[in-house]
Amino acid sequence: LVCLRLHPGAGQDVGRSCILVSIAGKNVMLDCGMHMGYNDDRRFPDFSYITQNGRLTDFLDCVIISHFHLDHCGALPYFSEMVGYDGPIYMTHPTKAICPILLEDYRKITVDKKGETNFFTSQMIKDCMKKVVAVHLHQTVQVDEELEIKAYYAGHVLGAAMFQIKVGCESVAYTGDYNMTPDRHLGAAWIDKCRPDLLISESTYATTIRDSKRCRERDFLKKVHETVERGGKVLIPVFALGRAQELCILLETFWERMNLKAPIYFSTGLTEKANHYYKLFITWTNQKIRKTFVQRNMFEFKHIKAFDRAFADNPGPMVVFATPGMLHAGQSLQIFRKWAGNEKNMVIMPGYCVQGTVGHKILSGQRKLEMEGRQILEVKMQVEYMSFSAHADAKGIMQLIRQAEPRNVLLVHGEAKKMEFLKQKIEQEFHVSCYMPANGETATIFTNPSIPVDISLGLLKRETAIGLLPDAKKPKLMHGTLIMKDNSFRLVSPEQALKELGLAEHQLRFTCRVHIQDPRKEHETVLRVYNHLKGVLKDYSVQHLPDGSITVESILIQATAHSEDQGTKVLLVSWTYQDEELGSYLTSLLKKGLPQSTA
Amino acid sequence: MTRECALLLPGVCAALADPRQPGSDDTCLEKLLDWFRSMTEFDPSVSLVQDNPCLTEFITSILALPEPSPSILSFTLRLAGILASSENRFQHLQQEKLLVRLFGTDGPLSSTVWEDASVRSGWVEGVHSMMHHQPALHFLCNGGGIEVIFALQGDPSLFVASAASRLLVHMLILSVESETTKPFSTKDFDWPACAQMIVKRIEDSLQSSSASHVEQSLKLLTSLFSSCHSRWTEVLWLGIAKQIESFLTEETIQVQRILANLLLNMAWSPVFCDSEGSFWALVTSALERLTPVQAGPLAVGILRLYKCPQDVRIQALTVLLQPMDCILRAASQPLEYAGLLDESVSDPATVESLLSSKSSCASLLCQTLAHLEELLSLMYLRVDLPYTSLLRSLMTILQFCNGFLSPASPLGSTISRILINCIRVQRSALDVLAALSERKGCDTLIGSLFDVLLAYLESPNTTSTVLKKTFQATSKWLVRLHELSCSTSQWQQTEKILADVFLVLQKRLCSPCWEVRDSSLEFLTVLIKCLRDQDEFRQSLLSSEVPRLTENLLEDPESYVRASAVTAVGHLAFITFFAPELPVIGNQYSKENTVAKLQEILSKDPEGFPRRAVISMFTKWLRQGCTGRMEDTERFVSRVIQTVEHDLDWEVRLGGLELVEVFCSQTICQLGLPRCSSVPVLSAVASSIHQNRSLQIFCRAKLFSFLFRSLCDCDKPVGQRACDILFALRGNFYPTGTLRDSQETGELPPGHGIAWLQRTLRQGSLAQNFPTGGGDGVDFEDPESMMLALGTIDLEELHDELNRSSDHVEKSPQSLLQDILATVGTIEENEADCY
Repeated sequence: LVCLRLHPGAGQDVGRSCILVSIAGKNVMLDCGMHMGYNDDRRFPDFSYITQNGRLTDFLDCVIISHFHLDHCGALPYFSEMVGYDGPIYMTHPTKAICPILLEDYRKITVDKKGETNFFTSQMIKDCMKKVVAVHLHQTVQVDEELEIKAYYAGHVLGAAMFQIKVGCESVAYTGDYNMTPDRHLGAAWIDKCRPDLLISESTYATTIRDSKRCRERDFLKKVHETVERGGKVLIPVFALGRAQELCILLETFWERMNLKAPIYFSTGLTEKANHYYKLFITWTNQKIRKTFVQRNMFEFKHIKAFDRAFADNPGPMVVFATPGMLHAGQSLQIFRKWAGNEKNMVIMPGYCVQGTVGHKILSGQRKLEMEGRQILEVKMQVEYMSFSAHADAKGIMQLIRQAEPRNVLLVHGEAKKMEFLKQKIEQEFHVSCYMPANGETATIFTNPSIPVDISLGLLKRETAIGLLPDAKKPKLMHGTLIMKDNSFRLVSPEQALKELGLAEHQLRFTCRVHIQDPRKEHETVLRVYNHLKGVLKDYSVQHLPDGSITVESILIQATAHSEDQGTKVLLVSWTYQDEELGSYLTSLLKKGLPQSTA
Repeated sequence: MTRECALLLPGVCAALADPRQPGSDDTCLEKLLDWFRSMTEFDPSVSLVQDNPCLTEFITSILALPEPSPSILSFTLRLAGILASSENRFQHLQQEKLLVRLFGTDGPLSSTVWEDASVRSGWVEGVHSMMHHQPALHFLCNGGGIEVIFALQGDPSLFVASAASRLLVHMLILSVESETTKPFSTKDFDWPACAQMIVKRIEDSLQSSSASHVEQSLKLLTSLFSSCHSRWTEVLWLGIAKQIESFLTEETIQVQRILANLLLNMAWSPVFCDSEGSFWALVTSALERLTPVQAGPLAVGILRLYKCPQDVRIQALTVLLQPMDCILRAASQPLEYAGLLDESVSDPATVESLLSSKSSCASLLCQTLAHLEELLSLMYLRVDLPYTSLLRSLMTILQFCNGFLSPASPLGSTISRILINCIRVQRSALDVLAALSERKGCDTLIGSLFDVLLAYLESPNTTSTVLKKTFQATSKWLVRLHELSCSTSQWQQTEKILADVFLVLQKRLCSPCWEVRDSSLEFLTVLIKCLRDQDEFRQSLLSSEVPRLTENLLEDPESYVRASAVTAVGHLAFITFFAPELPVIGNQYSKENTVAKLQEILSKDPEGFPRRAVISMFTKWLRQGCTGRMEDTERFVSRVIQTVEHDLDWEVRLGGLELVEVFCSQTICQLGLPRCSSVPVLSAVASSIHQNRSLQIFCRAKLFSFLFRSLCDCDKPVGQRACDILFALRGNFYPTGTLRDSQETGELPPGHGIAWLQRTLRQGSLAQNFPTGGGDGVDFEDPESMMLALGTIDLEELHDELNRSSDHVEKSPQSLLQDILATVGTIEENEADCY
């Protein structure tokens, strides 16, 4: 079982996922993420490392996508439509529905920004999605005759799944990103006791015990509320989907509860579709949402309305969700420029921003920004960062390992130093090996697969007849000839094997000459040898035959005088293949000479 | 380096070298290196390091750290390499022994950080960057570096291993090409010292019993022979050829695949492909000895070559055709065998055994099919392929896969059992089938080919991906069928096939699976594009239910399908109401109805794809002159742009501009150019304007308001396109030479509000929206004002501004340095929180 990390970008980055697993001759790619920090080829994994000879479609048996975040699926259209992978791609139903929205959103931003090359088109996204096979939770999907996969609920985001990959009796479980505590709209991850040979787990919060998300949510609402109350405007840059919906639910319920009147706008047309999917896949959300759904659909927003570009100049308070999420182009950047100069306003960044964006600049505290045409924009509005991401923390990771009982663990998606700490904890507590390969490194894990073998009844009877009655709980050693034919294994008796294969039996005997200095007569030497062996090999049947030879089991020893030197006796030792061990032991024993005392 | 950057750099260096600071984002460091690379690439002078002593100080301070973080150490190694890329700077750094301390045996190489892959990677990359001159070469060779690089070829990190291999190739080439003193001679070639060391190591490792050493050297040779085509490579080859041949004949070490790749890369080098005898003999022997799977890539590579002995070519072709031949034989009765290959050249035993084994059958076929597709996509093939037999073989494979054929022969029944429902093979076979349609000579089989294709189109077992490929193959062969029936007048067969195709398309358009509906619509659009001039095609299509079902799909719940339906309906219009002669069938297709439906989608559809499809279809109609007389067209365009002006999707707005562009050029073409060729004075311009019909039309259609507002669009491509169009219009209305004068007049006559417009646009078009309510009295429908605006506003400056990427400021080195400085002292907890 071989596991190779092939994340995009040069360094040991956090995030961006692409893992290649080879298991029992099958090759599976887990996730196909992109790195938003680069504008060139470095944003995608370097797929040329997957196979140096031959085509990707022939090499890979399938690609599995764990969830719709771009650091897990962003390179997929590039991989399938530009690099040329033409095989099957698996993801859950919600992921298949939502993934193209995000890819399209990001494509639009990229084209909008200009100056980018080698990026996929809308048609490519569509063609890629047509190759995707959607799977249900807990449904065993047969990729081919040997390879099967199964999805488990992972929390994290709508449709996120962990996958078990199984070939014969070897298996790997891949967590993707997961969350072990339920949140406002999603449940906790769960996997059955599948005892995989390897569990590949994310470890973003490897050493963190996170405070509850509730606190962060309360904080967020408080800040929005305060700003609106004092007549300010709140800008929340988001990507079309994911966090945006989460925050919408929050604000919607809060507005309802507090009976607030300030308008909330959503700037992108894509959201309608996104909300549609959140409604459609209600079963993927948590218990609470499903229950309230009977009375009211949580994604049917009463207070949140579509944004028109002209609204930005309206007086009075408002909250606006605008794309893109890192303030690097388009609508959100334009609104930011309009509002930045007023200290009453606020911008809330609900996610990480890569370097090279306005979002990154203001988050790092820069307040005088150079804009196009050498203009300086002074940022007087408040800048807030709110992390709402849902990953398992150290406790959660341990909990999942306890659930799945893997034989080995491999940590990805985290920082080396933090992972090292967790690795030690896992090894101590569960007594399993824990790996953390760097990007570009391969981890090889040896498995002891049990391979089913058919055995003929005759042989079974014969073998069980030897020795004690069989004990069902204890393994038993069987002897026979293994025939491997047409992907099946059969253990038969050697005689049967000969018959089946039409072969004649050959006897193999090894012989060896041992020279011994002994002036006595030959029969006396034989007697000395006999006594010596009888003394040493107490558990074996040592016999002195009337023809003057000695036998020890199947081993035959004969003595003759040396033709040239009568003082030297030549012992001819011969044995069969079955007694190879005893035979070589005996020759080495005799080579040491005979003890004087027996004389 | 700008003055601002030079001022920021010392602070950045200090921040990076400070171990108390949290590690900088990897992308920042990467981009910093990009910047240094761009500065040093064309400037060998020492000024960069001399003027910025902070750089050497930075390296020194990193070296002084007891435990530098791997990422910053890796950065330092790469930075030092980049700086040392010129001889001058190399010497400068060496004065302080910095390079020895970084890259020598006592440096990071011997410390515990070496265990970190990023440090090893930084070391290799650093060495590679500096390896542009002899002092660097000697520095490394004399310091024992070669041994390190050879060892790194077997590094656990793939990135490091392959970088080490590339580095050795680079060093070998540099050494030979910069240090050879004597003129070249094959017989007694003097390797320079450094090259000698590398060559010796290659020879030794080829002779070693370790498979991984052999493998590494073969990979190294492969990349050497593919990147360097100098004569001396032959000398190297002569020294190792025997050894390499032995890998092929003795097979003690399993390196066949790499060997095939090596030979292929050599065949592409003029040094070897022009050589006589021995090299090609080795290739032939490889084609014979390697298994079909190993030899396949070599064979297809050989067939792509321009220069290659014909017998080698035939041998390569045999490798590729053998599996296809085997399939044909397996399916046919013993006596009717008309295979692909002459029985004298084919040795079917190996291929037969591979095809009759479950584990290898599909992969061998898929590989062979992929190679055949590659060959068929070549414009000029230097060898004849037996197209008819190939087609027959493909049809057989497809019939094995859907269970329509299960021959009596033992081999045939085994293969058919293995292949049934094998999607991989179906996909590959259909790809080849599509490619084969371009080649002449398969015509006799066309009838039975469509039986196979229709079976796939009809079968409920056909998966959506296979169906899509079947559609692609079918459309190509339908075009071929049409060409054929034109020459043979076999219309009946064509009509029958078309009727069958539309019947099955009707069913597929109603599939519950959106992928199938969408592929069906795309298929229909392709057919209309290719065959819309053909009577039989139009008749069959219009007498089927397909057009009605297509219109229904305009209301599909899936937006992708709606968009494809829009495109299909748009193309259908070309054969219904836009056709020059009316269609034969009673005309139930109302133009007004369809246009209204598409207009409604454009204004109401909640998603971008269908709206984008509508606007692009409208532009196509306009291009093809389908929108009626000029007045009708004017009204049509005006209505459309008023709809798209406020669209949330900028690509729809961009589509609207494209429509405007086509409309403008058509109008100007039809009405002739303005007659104001010599009117330097503004008043004269004004007087001629009223005679200028096209300008009046544009004003009436409200084009200018749309164009000028678009200049302020928050999405750059929209502004840029609008600017391009205005540019072109200005060129039309102000012929060369007349513009300068008008722009220089400076004073603008009052009452037009153009000064205000100019100011607004100059304030930075992207800074804000175009003010609503028209703004200070600019009348966008007044030809005189618009003529004035075109002549006055500085479109060049706007054009330059709009042409830059929206993050060009944030991407600049100065901004990068500021960002690194800004993160000093902050804790980067945000990092983990990615989207």
